[in-house]
Amino acid sequence: MSKHIINPMRISLLLLLGVFTGCSTIATYDQEAYKNATSLKVDTLVVMSKANEALSSHSSEVAKLTIALDKAYEYDRNRPLNDITVKMWDKLRNPNGDLLGGFLREWKEDGPMLPKYVQHKKQQISEGFDTIIQLESGKMKPAEAEKKL
Amino acid sequence: MATIDWNLIEKQTATLAETLLNGFVKQAVNDARDFKQRAEKQIAEWLVDLAKGDITRKNFASLVRGERDLAEMHLLKQEGLSKVTLDTFTGGFIEIVLNAALAAIP
Repeated sequence: MSKHIINPMRISLLLLLGVFTGCSTIATYDQEAYKNATSLKVDTLVVMSKANEALSSHSSEVAKLTIALDKAYEYDRNRPLNDITVKMWDKLRNPNGDLLGGFLREWKEDGPMLPKYVQHKKQQISEGFDTIIQLESGKMKPAEAEKKL
Repeated sequence: MATIDWNLIEKQTATLAETLLNGFVKQAVNDARDFKQRAEKQIAEWLVDLAKGDITRKNFASLVRGERDLAEMHLLKQEGLSKVTLDTFTGGFIEIVLNAALAAIP
């Protein structure tokens, strides 16, 4: 039998425990961030579909997409406890990598791409966006986090 | 006299941990398995395209490296979801303890 008497010391310990364990380790779900990632996925795939043509014919669309990506990145970068999502954006946008950043650089440097290559890259980059979207949608909703406190 | 049922706290905490961890592990394993199967299928498809001349060697190399980048993104996602599980556990644990404490108040 392990029932114990309530005393002020025990209450204090419980409160301390609550304060300690109540600290979150990751940002809560953010509707704006989710919307940014989902709409950017769609916009990115539309722009990528045109990569079998010269970039010069689509430079304004690419510039618009790049600005939108930068804005979404900045939004996520300034959210507390959101470093994992930021690392994911870094991976996706890295011009020296082989996802979206690398694809845009390649288009600029090498010119129009083969249709099959564009098709495969679209699949790959779409999946990259999905990982960001899935993490965001898996985060605790703010109402649940408030309940926790 | 007010008492806290520590046995109940222990039991409920164990159930909570088991439920959350099992769910997380199952999801992570399924995710990793799906990724591996998809990657294998895609690489086979790219090899056929390379042989047919539909993509270049440079394209093929970039696709393979892209798959590595993608694997890293999946790992980051799992790291994030594991943190969500931890936060959910701590939230549930606090609730269990507070409920037990409140129930003990006459």
